[in-house]
Amino acid sequence: MGPLIPNGFIPDEWNNIIAIIIGLAFGYILEASGFSSSRKLAGVFYGYDFVVLKVFFTAAVIAVIGIFYLDYLGYLDFNQLYIHPTYLWGAIIGGIIMGVGFVTGGFCPGTSVCGAAIGKIDAMVFILGILIGVFVFSELYTLFEPIYDGYFLGNQTLMDSLGVSPYWFIFIFTIIALVAFFVVDQIRKKVKKVFY
Amino acid sequence: MNTEHQNRHVYWNPYFGGFLLGLLIIFTFYMTGRGLGASGAMKSSVVAIVDKVAPTHAENNAYYSKYIDEDKSPLNTWLVFEAIGVLLGAFISGSLGGRIKLKVEHSPKITSRRRLWFALGGGVLFGLGAQIARGCTSGAALSGMAVLSTGGFITMMAIFGTGYVVAYFFRKNWI
Amino acid sequence: MINRNLAKVLSFRYKILALVLVLLAAGLVLLPKYVKHEGISPKELLSNAISPERYISTDELAHKIIEQDPSFLLIDVRDEESFKKFSLPYAINIPLKKLLDEESVNYLDQDEYDIILYSNDHFYADQAWIICNRLAFKNHRVLEGGVNEWFATIINPEKPTENMPRLAFDLYSYRKAASMYFGVAYPEQARPAVSTTNKTKKRRVTVRKKKKMAAEGGC
Repeated sequence: MGPLIPNGFIPDEWNNIIAIIIGLAFGYILEASGFSSSRKLAGVFYGYDFVVLKVFFTAAVIAVIGIFYLDYLGYLDFNQLYIHPTYLWGAIIGGIIMGVGFVTGGFCPGTSVCGAAIGKIDAMVFILGILIGVFVFSELYTLFEPIYDGYFLGNQTLMDSLGVSPYWFIFIFTIIALVAFFVVDQIRKKVKKVFY
Repeated sequence: MNTEHQNRHVYWNPYFGGFLLGLLIIFTFYMTGRGLGASGAMKSSVVAIVDKVAPTHAENNAYYSKYIDEDKSPLNTWLVFEAIGVLLGAFISGSLGGRIKLKVEHSPKITSRRRLWFALGGGVLFGLGAQIARGCTSGAALSGMAVLSTGGFITMMAIFGTGYVVAYFFRKNWI
Repeated sequence: MINRNLAKVLSFRYKILALVLVLLAAGLVLLPKYVKHEGISPKELLSNAISPERYISTDELAHKIIEQDPSFLLIDVRDEESFKKFSLPYAINIPLKKLLDEESVNYLDQDEYDIILYSNDHFYADQAWIICNRLAFKNHRVLEGGVNEWFATIINPEKPTENMPRLAFDLYSYRKAASMYFGVAYPEQARPAVSTTNKTKKRRVTVRKKKKMAAEGGC
């Protein structure tokens, strides 16, 4: 049955309207969880605020469990979903660069849009930075192309690359996330509070 | 202490936010078969600007030309509409929470100017990294993890792993 | 009192939520796994297969063609050579081997037209019917007896003997009229210039492609 739009249950014209609605909810949730504040976001790296980790992992766990239940019950065809492609070194190098960017800038693209929406000037500057970054990448595309297009492993899931049963993986992933929540709370108690 | 009191109930419980975000991801996949994203909208904006300013250059560049379509503006993509939604949604939430204020948020130890320069630098790095990894924290890591994509997990671990490694060098900016 | 009890429960709220999450995840591990079928279940297929609706008789088909009923598609599942040699009017050729090609599926998997499959007898058409039904394509029927039956009943109807009921005579005259429509000449009619070669009439059918886009990417 699902996904609805690619299977033609909902006409394609609705796609953009649904995009705006989904975006609205996305922005609302991010902002209401405190993702529009860069110091709150950066807290995850210094141990004074783990809201990023908590929101992020809760969302991932809930989403993956929900999607697999829907798939199991036949409402959603997992094979039709978009699986983020695996370009091994692209993912690693890109991730490293983004990690440095995260700590220096204190935002990621989605949260910077939220920050900009409520008037954070640093978020607006961050967005400007992203635009410049994309521009630099595109201008030097030939230089980056080997990493960008190389080491392509296909639209792989962990089931393909690790050979594990998805259900067991989700179970272990859930437990890891719960343990992480517990540990983080312990860390937070020890770290000196930062007010912002 | 006063500040802590102010901050305590302003934001949602993170688990509640995460729960709703998880439901939203499920909904997004159920409707459209794809995940959430954010940096894609900025890529489209850059393509649109370059295409407007220097059309021939944009067409000759191997990267821009992928996203230029004769009969469709590069801005007419799903992710751009989604980003508009994010902007509106965050604004609604911010105004309901009374958080709308033009300001630069920074540690008391650094100046606003320094914060802005670092924000710009971080943005440039993020923009670059997001293109190389084909997605940012929401597109690659969050939506990728929701469908157990290997690439999503690798990107997520690379972002946060590096974050912890370099966090020490930038501590003055934040604490 | 209530407040105190509530507070007691609420102090465990994170543990309870964590437990719920673990149970949900464990549910995925423990639920019995099954192989997913594409299309309809074997049970449904069986009930479709024994339904009399599955076949259409040559007389009904002749009627539909003569009436120029626009609501059906006639599909020939024989190979191309036989199709060129002889085919029913307005038929489209989709050989059994190409049944699941993308192009053919556009014709077969849609709900605008009724689809009537035929082959020389109904053996191959039945095979095609089973495959299409299994994939949950709708409104498929098989021409009973296929082309052979078509010849035996419509093109060359058997003359009833005198001891047969009147119905048989009615049927005969109906079939005779139909066969004249399809270009058969009868001596008693004395219409000289009708050729018995079956001109294959072609009908242009535009079938809307079923939308099935691949989901596209994130950032």
